[in-house]
Amino acid sequence: MGYLLKTNWWKWLCVVLLAYTVVGGLLLPVPKLPILNETIRVLHFHVPMWFGMILVFSGSVIYAIKYLKSNNTMFDVYSSQLANLGVAFGVLGIVTGMVWAKYTWGEAWSNDPKQNASAISLLIYLAYFILRNSIKDEQQRNRISAVYNIFAFFLMIPLLFILPRMADSLHPGNGGNPGFNAYDLDSNLRKVFYTAVVGWALLGYWIASINIRLSVTQEKIENAS
Amino acid sequence: MSSKVSILPLQDVQKVIQLIKKDFLVDWRQQNPIAGILLYLASTIFTSYMAFKGFLSFEVWNALFWIILLFTAITAISKSFIQEERRSLYYFFLMKPRDLINSKLIYSFIYLLAIAILSLIIFTVLFGNPIVNYSLFVINLILGCLGLSSAFTMISAISFKTSNRSVMMAVLGFPVIIPVLLLSIGNSAQILDGYIWSQIQGNMLTLVSVDVIIIALTFVLFPFIWRS
Repeated sequence: MGYLLKTNWWKWLCVVLLAYTVVGGLLLPVPKLPILNETIRVLHFHVPMWFGMILVFSGSVIYAIKYLKSNNTMFDVYSSQLANLGVAFGVLGIVTGMVWAKYTWGEAWSNDPKQNASAISLLIYLAYFILRNSIKDEQQRNRISAVYNIFAFFLMIPLLFILPRMADSLHPGNGGNPGFNAYDLDSNLRKVFYTAVVGWALLGYWIASINIRLSVTQEKIENAS
Repeated sequence: MSSKVSILPLQDVQKVIQLIKKDFLVDWRQQNPIAGILLYLASTIFTSYMAFKGFLSFEVWNALFWIILLFTAITAISKSFIQEERRSLYYFFLMKPRDLINSKLIYSFIYLLAIAILSLIIFTVLFGNPIVNYSLFVINLILGCLGLSSAFTMISAISFKTSNRSVMMAVLGFPVIIPVLLLSIGNSAQILDGYIWSQIQGNMLTLVSVDVIIIALTFVLFPFIWRS
């Protein structure tokens, strides 16, 4: 993490990759498929959000564990800012998914297990922020929110595996529906998709690093005054 | 944790039993909280009896039973740490956190199981009773109660430290409890539908493993809450 903070080539890389994602994702040819048609382009904007969310939440939990081990305030800043970013990714993922579902499934919210699981993960982390705000003492707040972060994350993981067993999903890649590999005959989608995943992940890392530096600076100012 | 690594030292078992006895005595002497919970249970079931009378299929019976159990559990168990407010300083010197959480887990499990059985009796009187396979239903009920009681005990310990406890209890508890709730409602609907053990054993074992995850996490994480 330290090396990436000192250099900035990856920021240029992120800009280039995302520019390619937006232009290529909207303009390059896509396979002509019934029902899906042009909506398959949402692949580049929806799926990377979930990859990003799971990645960022895992990072948040790792820093929560590190915080409990060391009591280093920096780790708490990392953990809470990553959770913050994860919620942003999750909201974007839900919104893009709902827009897509409106045109392919006929309604924005159809009680699909995938939709429910994502809504519940968001509820968990929104509760995490309410918990942080309702404890006055700073050290106690850090420790208890780290505990809840770990507790909720390890219960969210089985949920993501249990829900699909309880009901069938319409989501591509679930319940007998093929994932995008089956549609992607000429590898055109794949090129843009992998670029998009890396690009959005880098953008997330960029935002998180700015947020972390901002809250560290704010804390310093508060302590100085 | 500088204690020696041994699974069940006799002294700890005695301490846990003492703590459970203490919880039981406190509840027995105060009587108000228990009477409150019982009345809460009875009036919720009676209200839903008035509302649902006449169109109760076994699926609705099942969902209603578990939802009422869920709300009673969250009300009943939220007190388990909140009532300790003035005593917590003494515990801090006398007890290891592990003994304390052990006793709380066992006590709230017994408490919730008693509530569940009572609720089953009231349901039978008012709504009738669609259960055919009692042994499977009770096993599933026990596993569900174990998950509910231990998750809510942990959440109660967390919300004990916050400023608005009763709201935090619901906000933090509901998303966390969903795996247990979904599995146990699903299982018990299938049991009422006449499924046998071999058809639901996969889901039952998943429920057991979720319970184990909850209890293990509670053991690992509780000392960090208690220390602050």
